[in-house]
Amino acid sequence: MIDIKNLNKGYMLGEEYLPILKNINFHVDEGEFVAILGPSGSGKTTFMNVIGCMDISDSGEYYLDGLSIHEMPEEQLTEIRNKEIGFIFQNYQLISTYTVLQNIIMPLLMRGMDHRSAEEQCMETIKLLGIDHRLDHKPSELSGGQKQRVSIARAMAGNPAILLADEPTGALDTNSGKEVLKLFQELNAMGHTIVMITHDLKVAQSAKRICKIVDGRLSEYSVR
Amino acid sequence: MRISELFRLVYLNLSQNKFKVILTSIGIVVGTATIMMVIAIGTGGKQDVAEQFKNLNAGAIDISYESTNSSSSSGNSGGGFPGGGGGGFPGRSSGGGFSGGMAGGGFPRGGFPGGSGADDRINQEDVSLTEDDMDDLQVFVPGLSDATISFSTKADCDGGELEDTTSFTIAGVKDNYATLSNMTLSMGEFLTEENETNKEKVCVLGYNTALEIFGSGYDAYDGTVYIDDRPYTVSGVLEEMGTVSSGISPDEAIFIPYATGVKYLTGDEVSPTITLIAEDVNNVDTIKSYVTDVLLDSYPNSEFTITDAGSKMEAAMASNDTLTMLLIAMAVIVFIVGGIGIMNVLFVSVKERTNEIGILKALGCKQSDILKEFVFEASCISLIGALMGVMIALGITPIIERFSVTVVLSVSGAIISLLFGVLTGTIFGFYPAYKASKLIPIVALNQE
Ligand SMILES: Nc1ncnc2c1ncn2[C@@H]1O[C@H](COP(=O)(O)OP(=O)(O)OP(=O)(O)O)[C@@H](O)[C@H]1O
Ligand SMILES: [Mg+2]
Repeated sequence: MIDIKNLNKGYMLGEEYLPILKNINFHVDEGEFVAILGPSGSGKTTFMNVIGCMDISDSGEYYLDGLSIHEMPEEQLTEIRNKEIGFIFQNYQLISTYTVLQNIIMPLLMRGMDHRSAEEQCMETIKLLGIDHRLDHKPSELSGGQKQRVSIARAMAGNPAILLADEPTGALDTNSGKEVLKLFQELNAMGHTIVMITHDLKVAQSAKRICKIVDGRLSEYSVR
Repeated sequence: MRISELFRLVYLNLSQNKFKVILTSIGIVVGTATIMMVIAIGTGGKQDVAEQFKNLNAGAIDISYESTNSSSSSGNSGGGFPGGGGGGFPGRSSGGGFSGGMAGGGFPRGGFPGGSGADDRINQEDVSLTEDDMDDLQVFVPGLSDATISFSTKADCDGGELEDTTSFTIAGVKDNYATLSNMTLSMGEFLTEENETNKEKVCVLGYNTALEIFGSGYDAYDGTVYIDDRPYTVSGVLEEMGTVSSGISPDEAIFIPYATGVKYLTGDEVSPTITLIAEDVNNVDTIKSYVTDVLLDSYPNSEFTITDAGSKMEAAMASNDTLTMLLIAMAVIVFIVGGIGIMNVLFVSVKERTNEIGILKALGCKQSDILKEFVFEASCISLIGALMGVMIALGITPIIERFSVTVVLSVSGAIISLLFGVLTGTIFGFYPAYKASKLIPIVALNQE
């Protein structure tokens, strides 16, 4: 599913090149639930942006479902983001002027689907996530846990190959955090591939496999 | 994304920012209202000009003589179509037909004390154009379709319901005058060739004259008017013409046969206007130079005032066009200012919505879709503004009309203004939309 070889990425800080991701090799099989654990500033978000095709690496190879992402122009990356990747953000990133439903079906509308069929296609997920009675609300009228469910529903709307979650519990209290993690496990059990980023070992432990990223280097975390 | 879904998003965004939509579109509102009024006033002006010149034949050329010898024409002067030559500016009607002295002699009568010695010879003699001159011109000047001779003067009239003798404009004209100056009769018939040859005392009354003397056109017909104490039978009454820019104002005049007028009213003092009608309006200038040559032959020491209706109309049209251009320039400026206004607000809006744009891009929204959404938003805002502008234009029309400006609203004018409004908004909305579409997703996402 994901195959990353010798990936490097850094930022230019003035004249100086600041390497963030250093020679990363990363592999995820279909149906896996992987957590990437690392302290703040270690490069987790940077890595996730690369996996999510929002940012490009400086060198190295990245294959997603057999597609060579590292060679693709922005236009195709946009399409990959829409079809292959489901993003779940730390701070939900819902569009405040849209209703919950409109937020959820956006990825499908972008594919050229009409409102009605998009709604039909998402209904199952919406019910699964228990937000079907909130569809006409604005995100601001929801609790944090509900918002994250909406964002998960949106990530799953397009039936992507992989779900990417950056600190999905970061803004939630312990209980709602636990619920979201439980949801991830259920989704994983249903066959969804999930990569989750976190700085919290407890959170990471709900995944089947943990990788750690320290100072831009990725390594397998000792298996429990 | 589907167009219908894009518009749903546009609707979502606009309906939640109604106040902002109104603020954004104010420039377009004013611009659209302005251009609609410009079109309406411009059309109105054209209509005014056409109205004022409705008694003019585009191919008409008037020839009259003005003596510098002030003793000559005091009682009467050239009638003609555009009279002795009133100003060509629309709305400045030159009244009864007294010569305005716009060219020819050059110096206003008596306005140059002691100066008469300087410009001796020219126009010193009492020259009077005659029917023979007219016949000459018809023979020697090519490309004429018709010719007529006329004069106008004032005379005391009596009869009908008039209590006192009243002074009226009397026009001595040929039988073809009515046709040449686009006059129609409401009753009876115009003066005939027979009236002319027999110098009969018949007359045709202008609309207002008939009302004034007899109370109605119906009563006037076959009645008797005493002009200079001689009885004239009313053989016809004209339909109302309204104000005309120059020449004899038909509504206020009494028309009598030319020969009759010369015989009973003016005698040799007559100073008529010969009117030639060019077959082809484009040949008017050539004809004018022929006319000068022919007249120079007969009157070597005289200069004649030769005016053509076409150039007067052109002058009037041109001044109307100038006004229209000025108004258009104003509308363009308003539009540019309005456009910059809309662009400004949209830039702010893009900035405010950077996060939203970032989310959309992260979710895989195509650049072109984002561009389209923002451009459509700009178009819709300006459409709303343009519609309001049209309504405002409709609203202020009665106010402008109160200042006696002719305003001619039209559906096509409204559509053009709408198009202009929407186009302006769309063009100026394009750049902010383009900026939005070019945002980099991770950068946009991280901006709060
Ligand atoms: N656009 C950028 N330009 C320059 N440096 C950057 C940029 N984005 C991130 N960095 C740097 O890269 C490093 C890794 O950042 P990143 O956001 O990936 O960390 P993180 O592991 O996600 O941290 P956190 O847990 O706090 O979210 C940081 O030191 C950060 O300063
Ligand atoms: Mg981070």
